[in-house]
Amino acid sequence: MEALTYLFSSWIQPDLLFLTALGAFAGIYIGAIPGLSVTMAVSILISFTFSWEVNPALALMNGIFMGGVYGGSRTAILLNIPGAPAAIATSLDGYPMAKKGEAGQAIGLSTVMSFIGGLVGIVVLALAAPAISEFAIKFQPRDYMLIAVMGILLVGALSGESLAKGVFAGAFGILLGTVGLDPMTAEQRFTFGSVSLMNGISSIALMIGMFGVSEALLQLHHLNAQAVKQKIDRIVPLWGDIKRHLSLTLQSSGIGVIIGALPGTGGDIAALMAYDHAKRITKNPDVPFGEGAKEGLIAPESANNAAVGGAYIPMLTLGIPGDAVTAVIIGALFIHGLNPGPLLLLEKPDMFWFTVGNLVLADIFMLIFGLTGIRIFTKIIECPKAVLFPLILLLSVVGAYSINNSVADVWWMLGFGVFGYFMKLYGYQVAPVILGIILSRLMDDNWRRAIISERESLPDFVLGILTSPLSATLLGIIVFVLFTQTRWWKRRFGAAPTSLDAVKSN
Amino acid sequence: MLKTLVGAFALSMAASFAMANDFPKQDLQGVIQWGAGGSTDLVMRSVAPHVEKELGRSIVMTNKTGGVGVIATQFVSTQPADGYTLLMSAENPQLYKVMGLSNLDYSNFYPVNVLARGVPIIVANKDAPFNTFKELVDYVQKNPGKVRMGSTGPGGLPSVVGAMLSSKLDFKVTAVPFDGDGPALTAMQGGAVEFMPAVLGAAVEHVKAGRIKVLAIFDKQASPVLPDARPITADYPQFESLLPWGPFFGVFVKSETPDDVKAKLVAAFKKGANNEAFQKLLSDRGYVSMNMSGDEANSFLKKWQSTTSWIVYDAGMGKKSPEEFGIPKP
Repeated sequence: MEALTYLFSSWIQPDLLFLTALGAFAGIYIGAIPGLSVTMAVSILISFTFSWEVNPALALMNGIFMGGVYGGSRTAILLNIPGAPAAIATSLDGYPMAKKGEAGQAIGLSTVMSFIGGLVGIVVLALAAPAISEFAIKFQPRDYMLIAVMGILLVGALSGESLAKGVFAGAFGILLGTVGLDPMTAEQRFTFGSVSLMNGISSIALMIGMFGVSEALLQLHHLNAQAVKQKIDRIVPLWGDIKRHLSLTLQSSGIGVIIGALPGTGGDIAALMAYDHAKRITKNPDVPFGEGAKEGLIAPESANNAAVGGAYIPMLTLGIPGDAVTAVIIGALFIHGLNPGPLLLLEKPDMFWFTVGNLVLADIFMLIFGLTGIRIFTKIIECPKAVLFPLILLLSVVGAYSINNSVADVWWMLGFGVFGYFMKLYGYQVAPVILGIILSRLMDDNWRRAIISERESLPDFVLGILTSPLSATLLGIIVFVLFTQTRWWKRRFGAAPTSLDAVKSN
Repeated sequence: MLKTLVGAFALSMAASFAMANDFPKQDLQGVIQWGAGGSTDLVMRSVAPHVEKELGRSIVMTNKTGGVGVIATQFVSTQPADGYTLLMSAENPQLYKVMGLSNLDYSNFYPVNVLARGVPIIVANKDAPFNTFKELVDYVQKNPGKVRMGSTGPGGLPSVVGAMLSSKLDFKVTAVPFDGDGPALTAMQGGAVEFMPAVLGAAVEHVKAGRIKVLAIFDKQASPVLPDARPITADYPQFESLLPWGPFFGVFVKSETPDDVKAKLVAAFKKGANNEAFQKLLSDRGYVSMNMSGDEANSFLKKWQSTTSWIVYDAGMGKKSPEEFGIPKP
């Protein structure tokens, strides 16, 4: 009974209600601007809310977290610049929809799916948190390595016209990810003695350049083309549409919760995996993937918001952050005099139920603010290209600069923008490059941890994978995915070739 | 949105015109050397709000992990010496030269405040086949090289404690490096490593909850926070000559920073660190408050560097002799 009071305390106290709403609103716009991250916003808030009670501070942070993860989809759909890495997959089908005049519909759909995904994440948090966190910390370095390998397989789904070009782009991304000081030994790799290279290449700068700037440059080819008139008659998706995709939404949310709960991975990887999953299980999409498939929007958007609930799971039960944002929130709890740790759940169960209830509230506000104002936003892409493209460039420069307040990142962003333009001209997709740079360190670090743990013995390493049920399952999934891409499997079980990948490359 | 953009742009322009006399004109950037949730992170995030009140500006903190903290240290050293970028770090840079990691150490920086020092403890996975440090030593000697120790890379706290252990005992283990003691403690709970040396403060909540067990305190006396944990010298008096030893946490700026800026930062941190809530938080987590700056801090840093560099070098872990850099033998 008492739990119920805490659950709804933020719903009935006007100040908490207001702060959650404010957070969700601010989060959407912070999340939408590339380079401004939720982590950054929450860190700033820690100092700002220091003298407050802990609950109002948490309400504001929860709101920002929820809204911010969703907000990244805005610019991804409208301008092809993902507001955050978690929205990379969203741009793959969201932006083509906008180009066809369906931006309003795309934003509406992603808002509703983010809401459902967020809700699934919170329900799992409320019902199964202790079990899932025990499961999540069981992941060994070799399991993280296998997850990274699973991630690398997504190259197949992201390659576009040619698998070979996709593999090249992915490998290039992995190579870029190794630049800088070796995270294990601090040996310099590909730095050529340059200090600015020691910090590595920012994946956010790369993302802004390759997606946003390159697309702006590409659009200059059609400078005289009339901007597509946006259909804004139907923004809230039809109930039938939601129901038809409910199974995909729930599966994607499941992926999101688990990946979000793992202490070493977050919403970006979850969204990409969900996108790949959608592509695999959708036999006959109305529109092909990459050209504006609704499924390609539904999966990543539900997954990345489900990862929010997921990230809270190890944090609230064990005091272990599920991602960068919850790590900051742990710091906030700490300076508010709480001891975030495994005992928090026992000593202060109110904290847990308050967070659960407050997250639901934040999710609802995100839905409300997400669905209003869409009409004005879709006008952005209707404005003349002579106005739009300088605006995109300005946004990209500001975004790249604000990652680290570093001009070097701006140069990287512009350089990769031009490079991405040529890649696109020659039929290379840019998404695998970003996939590569994101997964590079996850794979590198964990492979080395795993092999060091086995005292550099490959047979022991393989034996370790085969004898652990968890690792063996992950390996099984990888083998299965590879197997389903063989010609034999496709001839036998495959329906008409639906996706653009491997089939065309054969 | 346009307003936000204009605002952000104006802010970035303001950065280049900031003058020392009215420091701080804009928010400061705090670069934390270790991962979120680890001990350095916790100390920095809890002192910052008190300091912000003194400075009247926010300290925006980011974790820049990797390479035993070299990445963050290197990063701050490439930023302008205007006091707007703070290095929030632990003891590691004092070993970079000996470890061959970097040519930087704290002599390149000015100690705004050495906030506190920590006491190392040795903790283990709760299902590990040993319950005391003595049992661990026996177990390691029976299975040389097979026991996995959580580490944070060469020069990190676990590796130094490991060097001290192997300098006095027959103690061969496999060190698996993680991105800081937070992630390593998580991995230990999942069974990826069997034991690890960690700062008391980062591990204490997990010990109290019974999720991990404490084998020994790496100190001469027991800690009031964990009174049941046995000091290592009780069974192995040979460690007495090395103790007390421990990590420390401090806030630094580049040494070329203008003096009036340094003075403002020192005053703000001194007052912030004296805050009752922060002091209570330190002692609750088993840290010893230091709150020193300038020359006092510098002599502490030099002494620490000389003791530890030689231990590490004598243990065969260092790549270069401390002599090369003029680090005196203690």
